Amino acid sequence: MKYLMLLVMLLALVVSGCATTDVAVPDDGKKGKDTVKKSDGRDDVIKVDRDKIREGALSEDQIRAQMASLFKDIRFGYNRYDVPEEEKANLRKIADWLLKNSNVSVLIEGHCDERGTNEYNLALGDQRAQSTKNYLVSLGIPANRLETISFGKEKPLCMEHSEECWSKNRRAHFVSSK
Amino acid sequence: MKEVIEDMKKRIFLRITKRLQAVVPMFAVVAVAAVMILAAGADSASARVYIDINSPGLKRLPIAVVDFAGIAEGTELADIVRSDLDFTGLFAFINKSAYIESAGAPFSPENWRPLGIDAVVKGTAEAAADGTLSIVVSVYDVVESSNILKKKYSSRKDLIRPLAHRIADDIYEALTGQKPYFSSRIAFIGQDGDRKSIYLMDYDGQRAKKIVSRGDITMKPRWSPDSRKLYYSSLRGTRWGIYELDLDAATESKQYSSGATDLVGDITQDGTYMLFSSSGKGSPDIYRLHLGTKILTRITHSDNIEVSPSASPDGKLMVYVSDKSTVPQLYIMNMEGADSRRLTFEGSYNTTPEWSRAGDLIVFTGIVGGRFQVYTIKPNGSELRQLTDTGTNEEPSFSPDGRFITFTSDRDGAKGVYIMTVNGDGQKRISPRNIRAFGPSWSH
Repeated sequence: MKYLMLLVMLLALVVSGCATTDVAVPDDGKKGKDTVKKSDGRDDVIKVDRDKIREGALSEDQIRAQMASLFKDIRFGYNRYDVPEEEKANLRKIADWLLKNSNVSVLIEGHCDERGTNEYNLALGDQRAQSTKNYLVSLGIPANRLETISFGKEKPLCMEHSEECWSKNRRAHFVSSK
Repeated sequence: MKEVIEDMKKRIFLRITKRLQAVVPMFAVVAVAAVMILAAGADSASARVYIDINSPGLKRLPIAVVDFAGIAEGTELADIVRSDLDFTGLFAFINKSAYIESAGAPFSPENWRPLGIDAVVKGTAEAAADGTLSIVVSVYDVVESSNILKKKYSSRKDLIRPLAHRIADDIYEALTGQKPYFSSRIAFIGQDGDRKSIYLMDYDGQRAKKIVSRGDITMKPRWSPDSRKLYYSSLRGTRWGIYELDLDAATESKQYSSGATDLVGDITQDGTYMLFSSSGKGSPDIYRLHLGTKILTRITHSDNIEVSPSASPDGKLMVYVSDKSTVPQLYIMNMEGADSRRLTFEGSYNTTPEWSRAGDLIVFTGIVGGRFQVYTIKPNGSELRQLTDTGTNEEPSFSPDGRFITFTSDRDGAKGVYIMTVNGDGQKRISPRNIRAFGPSWSH
């Protein structure tokens, strides 16, 4: 239930913030603060306090905000569950953030598009979540901070019957399970 | 439902049926026996014996079911019995207004021969002061002028449909020597709003009711061989698990949960093992759990996806799905995981296999033109047949006798549960219109 509520909140963030946020988390330890402009060029700036991160004192809201922007869905090919090359940079950023925020655990959800049968899609979603997890583990994240779950095609992000939509649904999705 | 009975099967019928069962393939026996029994002793018998019920030229057994005498429910009972027998495709009916003999009159073959009727079902129905129905049913052989079956039933008045199915079961068994299935049920997943629940309905789509509503997602259920339990995978919180529902006791218990994705596939016909897939060790592999001792045996050891095992009737083999060729295809292996061989080569996505409990056929979902369709194939890989072509059709499951298939279709818009013959004939929706319904599984 907790996951579900988080998921709902994350989805709400994603939906409400669709036009937003290439927010970044600091990737070196020197600066006290990082500022990143939104991609749409507006001037509002999101500030992240590094010291607080180090102390693990990031508020849940902040964690949520950072995760919503950094933890992009990992998208997979049709019927595939190997992490695509073009997603690996994204996963490296996620791994960096997780290394710095060692109090955060993550639930990785595996999802599929509608073009599969229910049972096989649950297995496929399971493997998408697990291969995402395995890649993060290979980057040094302890496995016990990464849970996985498969939803198969049960919880699509996008409801239309088009490749554009299907590609969004073939995903590993991250939820904070702190 | 209580029943007390005297069962009068003719010896000659038993002898013939036994002999036939020994030499004629399963599917053919039904029709042959049905006709033989009543044709025994008649001069023209030889014209009727060699019938293949799978051929369009099947000669149906002409049968009359007279509205039961007595109370008004007698008509309803007879209607349901008629509908059950008609469903099999093995019987021919004439309009009941053509019947000469009234319900209350004694059976006389002379009243039926002119109508070309070979078998007659008659019954009487009474209601006691407390509403209990008492029924006596007789089945007559017109050709031999004899009584094939006489049986008494009693039941609560509100259970008239199961009672009628029970009567039809006995008639069918007496006439064909085959295991009847009019009391069988279909379990399926119904969705109202976001919630997915397990439903049960009679095989004819009547009396659909919700029975389990726990969990965020519940998958297609599977039956125990005695049809008293259901097994299904369900997501509870963030954990998949395999659950057993005892229908008699109305209790649910968790059978297995690895913490990863656990998907029940089948219960072996002897009731000993639950076959399932689990990704508890990384990738989904096939396991079997001894339901008595709870001893767990891992059957496959690969990095591929292996799911959806379904056991052969003798419990020696299973058909399952693997993507070891890079796309999901069906394979057959033995219970120890040895002698695996690929079964399907057509198409790039073959899943949801079920092995007929009656024997030599496997039904599954394939893709053609981007849409799911239901196919059958022999376990040796021959005789691949596409049975559906309208809309998307998937998740097939055999009737207890293997002559019918229930499946999910979206041909009318929202998903519903459909049935058809094993040849793809007579496709029709049976689940209620007001529920999105899928994942059907036919009891044993």
